[in-house]
Amino acid sequence: MPMVRFDGVSKSYPGGKEALSKVSFELARGEFAFLTGHSGAGKSTLLKLMLQMERPSKGQVFVDGDCVNTMKSSLVPLLRRKVGVVFQNHQLLFDRSVYDNVAMPLLIAGYQPAEAARRVRAALDSVGLLGFERRNPIELSGGEQQRVGIARAVVNKPQLLLADEPTGNLDPELSEEIMKLFLRFQQVGVTVLIATHDIPLIERMGHRRLILDHGSLHDSGGQRAGFERGDHVRT
Amino acid sequence: MSAPDSPKRQTANAPRKPQVGASTHKVSLKDQLNGWAQQHQLVAVETLMRLLTKPLGSIMTWLVIAISLTLPGAMWMTLDNLSQLSNRFQASGSMSVYLKPAVQDTQAQQLLSCIESMDGVADVRFISADDALAEFRASSGLGEALDLLPENPLPGVIVVEPELALPQQDVIALADSLRSEPRVDSVELDTAWLDRLHALLALSERIVWVMGALLALGILLVVGNTIRLSIAARVDEIRVTKLVGATNAWVRRPFLYTGLWFGMVGGLVSWILLAIGWALVSGPVEDLAALYGSEYRLLPLSAGAALVLLLGAMLLGWLGAWWSVVRHLHRIEP
Ligand SMILES: Nc1ncnc2c1ncn2[C@@H]1O[C@H](COP(=O)(O)OP(=O)(O)OP(=O)(O)O)[C@@H](O)[C@H]1O
Ligand SMILES: [Mg+2]
Repeated sequence: MPMVRFDGVSKSYPGGKEALSKVSFELARGEFAFLTGHSGAGKSTLLKLMLQMERPSKGQVFVDGDCVNTMKSSLVPLLRRKVGVVFQNHQLLFDRSVYDNVAMPLLIAGYQPAEAARRVRAALDSVGLLGFERRNPIELSGGEQQRVGIARAVVNKPQLLLADEPTGNLDPELSEEIMKLFLRFQQVGVTVLIATHDIPLIERMGHRRLILDHGSLHDSGGQRAGFERGDHVRT
Repeated sequence: MSAPDSPKRQTANAPRKPQVGASTHKVSLKDQLNGWAQQHQLVAVETLMRLLTKPLGSIMTWLVIAISLTLPGAMWMTLDNLSQLSNRFQASGSMSVYLKPAVQDTQAQQLLSCIESMDGVADVRFISADDALAEFRASSGLGEALDLLPENPLPGVIVVEPELALPQQDVIALADSLRSEPRVDSVELDTAWLDRLHALLALSERIVWVMGALLALGILLVVGNTIRLSIAARVDEIRVTKLVGATNAWVRRPFLYTGLWFGMVGGLVSWILLAIGWALVSGPVEDLAALYGSEYRLLPLSAGAALVLLLGAMLLGWLGAWWSVVRHLHRIEP
């Protein structure tokens, strides 16, 4: 059973044109893939469908074998607990400490405080922010905030990790470091899908690429080079 | 940066769990229940602390709740006291025992001492037919006209004062037993005005209930509105928590507790207001009662009523919060 399966998925927003059209692909368990495409190609939309933040107009989305678009709303929280997400606007809460931000998924899942504390430390350690627990995220740099967001996404040991522009606004060095961090999660078995504009970085790293172009998907299938932004490759 | 599986983390806690897969690190049911109870406790304490440490934002809400509770509370207390008083009046309701015309004064005196020895009788007084006529003559000014009557039309009367503490049904039983005396023509209980007082009290009670219901509605609206504002202030937080897997119940919880605490604080403040009101009024009432030779003391709100007030306020706060949460929370989705 693949971790993620899209089955002829189309999505049109009310009043808008089609953001995704007939998208089909699978992500195997433990796979690492990039999702690229021009601005407005539908990358964020595709990620949102996996969390039932949006529902497809046509087709079906499966995560871990469960059909997401027909899922009862009472089950959606459980789905979201096994999917970690990192957003471009890292969605941190500035009225609480780094620790409280990262611990939030654990509190929600009902962990004991001691176990939660252990996991928060481990997650912060894995993104190189051990010792930042008591800081307020607003005092941190953009890259540090981004990493707090990643720590929060992985603290509950998700099976699937989604990231939307996790390296936006970061310098190349830090971007690469963050990508390596995602790779490490893949190495311990997490399925990772990263939406990004950063073509040079993707080129350097290799890996499978899903390319969106005006809502249509082109799957590189493996390590194919030569796709630049705006290259409209059709099969 | 160290890898997610770095040895550093292994030192933190003994047996390492597998890194991946929700199924492999599921929380046990017992832990879940514990966590759930802990969550409630945490949220309860947190929301209470938030209210108490930052009272400025919600002090208006407390006061509105407190005043809305104090009004019916005070009326309730007043009614309680009035019905207490009316019970005393009931007990002191005297009765007039009219004797048959044929009864001689000596027979009447016998009956008098017989009644005097009955249970529950405090005092008896005999007014003979002649005395009654003389009294009537003096008070009516019909002297000469009355002389024209062939005989005295008035019966002799025995006025019976039951004991002060005698309950009303015993007073009625006493009247009934007197009625069955062969020498007694009729017995009249002086209760018409009491009936009127009771009807009035019943009406006032109804008014208190209606007013209470309206003010309860007011409390619902005030709490609902305050919760709506605090939901609006925490939209980002709600989005993020839902995104990382918070259930609706989890998101609702702090708001419901906040409503509950609003009710509780409002109820306690209204206790204080009622106590102050009682203290202000009870002195003068005792002075007034003393002027009438009574030792009547103003009763404070009974413990039961006070408890109902507090619990009712908490329930209303909770309901107001629920109403607001149901209306506004579902619109906030990540
Ligand atoms: N909530 C929405 N309502 C209406 N249209 C939307 C909405 N969200 C996205 N769209 C439209 O859907 C299309 C795809 O948007 P999406 O955000 O998925 O693109 P993207 O690939 O993530 O772009 P970017 O790289 O700029 O983030 C765009 O044309 C966008 O205008
Ligand atoms: Mg986007």
